[in-house]
Formats: sequence, structure tokens, C-alpha cells
Amino acid sequence: MNKRVSLIVLATTMMVSVLSACGGNDGSAGTASQGGGGSKASKTLRFATWDTGDALKIEQDIAKKFETEHPGTKVQVEAYADGFDQKLAAGFGAANPPDVMYMWDFPTYHQSLEPLDGFADKDKDLNIDDFYKGLFNYGKIDDKLYGIPAGFTTRVVYYNKKLFDEAGIPHPKDGWTWNEFQDIAQKLTDKSKKQYGFGVRAENDTYDLQGFVWSNGSSFISPDGKTIDGYMNSKETADSIQMFGDMVKNGSAVLTGGKGQQSGDDIFKAGKIAMWESGIWPLESFKQAGIDVGTVEIPAFPGKPVKGVLAESALSIAKDSKQKDLAWEFIKFYVSNDSIKMRVADLPVRQSVVNELKKDQDSLYKPFYTMLERSSDTPAFLLNPKWNEVNRQLSAAVESVMHGSNAHDVLNQAVKDSERYLK
Amino acid sequence: MAQTYLQNTPEQTAALKPLRKRRWGGAAPYLFIFPWIFGFVVFTLGPLLFSLIISFFDWPIVGKVTFIGIDNYVEMFTDDPMFWKSLFVTLKFAVLFVPLNIVVALGLAMLLNQKVRGSAIFRTAFYLPSVISGVALAMIWSWVYSGDYGILNYFLSLFGIQGPDWLNDTKWSLVAMVVASLWGQGSMMLIFLAGLKGIPKDLYESASIDGAGKIRQFLSVTIPMITPTILFNLITSIIAAFQQLTLALLLTGGGPMKSTYFYAMYMYENAFKYFKMGYSAANAWFMFLIVLVLTFLVFKSSEAWVFYEGEMKKNPQKKLKARKGGQAG
Repeated sequence: MNKRVSLIVLATTMMVSVLSACGGNDGSAGTASQGGGGSKASKTLRFATWDTGDALKIEQDIAKKFETEHPGTKVQVEAYADGFDQKLAAGFGAANPPDVMYMWDFPTYHQSLEPLDGFADKDKDLNIDDFYKGLFNYGKIDDKLYGIPAGFTTRVVYYNKKLFDEAGIPHPKDGWTWNEFQDIAQKLTDKSKKQYGFGVRAENDTYDLQGFVWSNGSSFISPDGKTIDGYMNSKETADSIQMFGDMVKNGSAVLTGGKGQQSGDDIFKAGKIAMWESGIWPLESFKQAGIDVGTVEIPAFPGKPVKGVLAESALSIAKDSKQKDLAWEFIKFYVSNDSIKMRVADLPVRQSVVNELKKDQDSLYKPFYTMLERSSDTPAFLLNPKWNEVNRQLSAAVESVMHGSNAHDVLNQAVKDSERYLK
Repeated sequence: MAQTYLQNTPEQTAALKPLRKRRWGGAAPYLFIFPWIFGFVVFTLGPLLFSLIISFFDWPIVGKVTFIGIDNYVEMFTDDPMFWKSLFVTLKFAVLFVPLNIVVALGLAMLLNQKVRGSAIFRTAFYLPSVISGVALAMIWSWVYSGDYGILNYFLSLFGIQGPDWLNDTKWSLVAMVVASLWGQGSMMLIFLAGLKGIPKDLYESASIDGAGKIRQFLSVTIPMITPTILFNLITSIIAAFQQLTLALLLTGGGPMKSTYFYAMYMYENAFKYFKMGYSAANAWFMFLIVLVLTFLVFKSSEAWVFYEGEMKKNPQKKLKARKGGQAG
């Protein structure tokens, strides 16, 4: 009898403790929100970024400055890093997104973003004419503006001056060709020292490859965004990608950044590759690593104009945000001259800042700006809303080229496998 | 419980009776399992059914949800090469992993079953990898496998062998995954060990009296006696093989060239990279069906090869004689 009773008591206690554990959570959550509402003056603005490390530090500093200039406002910087898309999508899905966020993939997210034309047109402080014109193309969908450019970079070829000088090879100059590039890569390869002329990424972002494809007079997708056959698998597209596969095969380039492999940035820092193609991001770290680094425009295919691709980070406001005016204030602050000067991890979006800092006259920065003038083509993801799906096949094809497959074959296959998304 | 009731004196039983009629008397067991039931309904059954529902929808995280019937399933089978490719990779992995897993786990369990001093230390050591989280395990193996600096290739270089770049070589990446997956199977080893310990000594004694050598003893005594354990481990191995995701995600990312692009990873990417929740749920249900069918087949076949002592008692014709106090289960 006693046993039975004590069993029931025990079971009830367990249940109560389980329930009270839940209740405890509710309680603490309640107090937290009370704390937020208690001091009514303080508002919290959530700002999501994909940056990490030094770039994140800069963003936090800008946020702090905003807080001091706007008393009673707290900016909560949420660093999503590699999980940016997952966390952002989850936020939108749960109707609880950050107020302001970094954004580049407008075709995917624009339905959840607030159109900014109204803000931008009314607000003279923004001084919209000061921005580089081309930067706004990326944030527009159906003629509505969803993002204000905050930073950007074009892509250039970095070269290690010391390795060039040791081999007695003159430094490359703007207007050079891919043939010269490949010759130099051959000459600067010394297997005995594990030194290579160039580094090829094992997993390329096809977005970045578009510059080469455009330079060779082709593109991944037709200008109207409806056709890939004859574009993604054209001879020019295949040739421009095959070139890198061939360089890996003939040993003048090394595969970088695969699993357990060093990244190209790190190998360049170690002085083991003579040339490396990238955006502005690693420049500071190259200098810090003591590399005597030079930059030069992307090489040309003989007789064809060089084209470049632009990587842009813009700022957007969530449609579900409850404090859009404050969010706009923050964006405006974020792209003000003072803030832009703090942002050394990418290139200034305002011409006045560039002129003031004379960035375009610095020989290390100059190629980035000349490449900007060459970045007028529209990237594929803006041309077709299903590009993500097509890109899945294309990325697989490009990867297999870097591992030795024939570009023409695999691109044909990729086109075949992707056609269904374009119906 | 039933046994304790039988042992009660009539007075005790009489005393219990009125209690059972009390309002809360019958609820006690349910109160005990309530936390579990609650968790099961909210965190397992609910999501399970919900995933079945969304598998009939086009369900992006951002954007409009639309009902599309069985289109997700149709697309999967007729229009998506990646589906078949990833399924094939998973099958290849399972064919390599499952038998090896069982052999290695059984081998280790046999070693631990020897009467050696310090066997407890070995048991801990062999079990240790399964305590390590999958992420840490992936980190360790990515260092081991590294082409230029990996300890594995260093070891091979001592013998003058130039090892491949394991994780970036399409020929070796899947093998590398199998080996890394084998490393964390300590619990399976323990289950085998328990099975081995449950084999009555006298079976071996009589076998050796009959003149059976070590190998013969292993084949005719050990193996038949642990077939129920093998069955259990076989099924859990198959399920584990089909669900392998952590290592693929962290060690190779499905590469190089999709050579380790497991079905689970395909499913994961559909959901969390391409945000096609409905499609991914359909993928998941198809995997559930595969595992269900395989498990069913294994169970079916077990009638032919699994030996239960309980059944022996009914059927004394079989080779081994039934014994008293044999292992349970």
C-alpha cells in the first residue's frame, strides 16, 4: 500500500518538476521582455551580417558609433557567418527576421524585403548621386530598389613581386593576355620547392567565373534569362573554364581550398604561388604576411575586351520589421562618408570618399577601379529566378573540370540536367 | 511486476485491491511515462506527421506555400539525376560500411572478451571514440587524411608509399569516409561484448571435449549463440549507413565531384541550402521507406539464420542441446 502511494507521489513530483522546468523558462523569458519594455526609451535594432573577424569588428564599431549618436538605441549585431542563409531564411520563415541585414541574393529574398525607393527618394542626406552608378543594378528587382550598397569589390590578379624578380620576369601589366598569363605560370612553377605559378580553387563559385566567361565573349545564360543551351555550354564558355583545368593538369597551377587543403590565400601568403585571383578581401592579410604584393587587371582573351564581375554587399530592411524608420536611419549612417572610411575590408561605394582618400591613384587599388568600369554585364542569378537550381549542376560541372574532366562534355551534361528548371 | 503479484500473500493482494479502484491508482504508470510521451508527441510524432504533410506541398521558407499533390515524389523519380546519384553513393557506402562495421565491432569485442589484465582500460579506449561528438571526430579525421600534412600519409611515407590526397581524390574519398565512420562504433562493440559474455562456458567445454579447435568453436558455438546480437547490430548499422550525414557534411562536403554526396546530404541541401522544404520532406519519406523495407527484409531473413535459445527448447532436434539458464533475449 505504502509502496503504491509513494509511487504516485514520485510520479507526480517528477511531472511537476518537468512542468515547472517549462514554466521556469516562460518565467525567465517574461522577465527578459519586461526588462526590454520597462525602459521604454531604449529600442533594439537587430542587424545581421555574414562577416567575421576583422570585417565584423569594423561593423560592430560602426554600430557602437550609431548607438552613441542615437541615445536610447541599441544595435544588436548578429553575426551569422557561414550560416547566414539558413539563419536568415529561418528568421523570415518565423516572421522574426532582423530589422536590417546584409544582402546580395535579391532574387531569392526580395519578397521578404521592404522596397527602399520611398526612403531613398525622400531622403536628401543619402546623397544617392555620390554612389557608383552600377552598384544599384544589383539591388533592383522589377524596378524596385531593395538594397543600398554598403561595400563592393571587383576581382584582380595578385602577384608576388619577389618571385617574379627572382625569375627575372617583368611584372605583368594591365592589358596582358591569358596566353602570357599561362606562360608566366609555367615559368614560375618549381615543383622541387612546391612552388606554383597559379592557384586554382577546387570549389569555384561560378559567380566569380563569370568575368572570365564574359571576357571570352560568352555568358552562362542568354541576356533575357530564358536559355542556357548555347551559352552555358558554348565553346567560349567551355574554353575559359577548361583553361584552368588544363593548368592544374600540366602542373603550372595547384588546386587549393579543397577539404583539408590550404586555401589559396594561405598559400599565397606562404609565397608558394606566384599569382592569385581574388577580390579585395585578402589584400591586408597579404601585406601583413610580409608579401611584396602587386595587383593587375584580369588578363584578356586575344582581341576581346576584359570583363569583370562585381561582388557587392548591400543593406536591406525586412518587410516584417516594426521599426523601419530607425532601420533606415541605421542604413543611412552605415553608408555615410565617416562609416565608409572605417570600412577598410572592402572598397568605398562613394566616389567622394574614393577621391578624398585618393584610392584610385594607389597602384594597389587602381586595378580594382579599372575593373569596376569593366563590370557592366548582368550576372546570371539576376536574370533567372531558378538560377540557384541551374547553378547546382553548373558548379558540379566546373568542379569536375578542375579534377580533369573535359569542360565541353560536362557542361553539355549540365545543360541537359538543368533544362527542366527553365521550362 | 506480474511475478511480484504472484508472490504476494492473499492479505496483501486484498489490501491492494481497493487502491486500484481509486481515481489515480491506474494513472500512476502513465504519470511516470508522461514526460516521455509528451516529448515523443511534441518532438517526434508531431514533426514526423508534419513532414509527411509538407511533402505534398511546394514549401519554400521564403515565399508562398502551395499544395502540389505527389509532384515532389514524381519529380524525384523522373526528373532529378542528383536523386539517383546520391542514392547510389549511399548504397555503395552501405555495402562497404555495414559488413566491415560488424566484422570490426565483433573482432574488437572478441579481443576484449579475452581474460587479459587491463581489459577494462582497453574497453574504455575502444569505446572512447563514440563519446566524441561527430564534429570533433570529423576534425580529427580531416587532419589524419590531409594530403600534405596528414599523419596517415606520413605513416605511409615511412614505407616509401606516396599516399593519395584522401579527401580530394574521387577514388579514395568514399573509402576514407567508411574508415572514419568505423571509428565511432564503440556501442556496437559493447553490445557484441555483452552477447559474448552471455554465452555459457559449458558450451565451449563440451565443444572442446568433442575435439573442436578454436576456429570450429568460433563457427559452431560463438557465431550461432550471438546471431540475435548480430541481427540487432545489422539493422542498426544499416540505419546508420543510410543516415550518415555529419561526416559527409564536415569532412568532404559531399565532394570531390559528388563522390561522397550521400542521400542524407542531398536531403539536407534541398532543405537548408535550396530551401525546398516540401521536396526535402519527400526525400526523407522515401529514405524512411527504404530503411523500413530493408529492415523488414532482414527480419524476414532472420528466421533462417538467427538462433534463439527459447525456440531451441521447443525443437530439440537441432545440433546444440538446450541448456538451463541460457542468456535472455
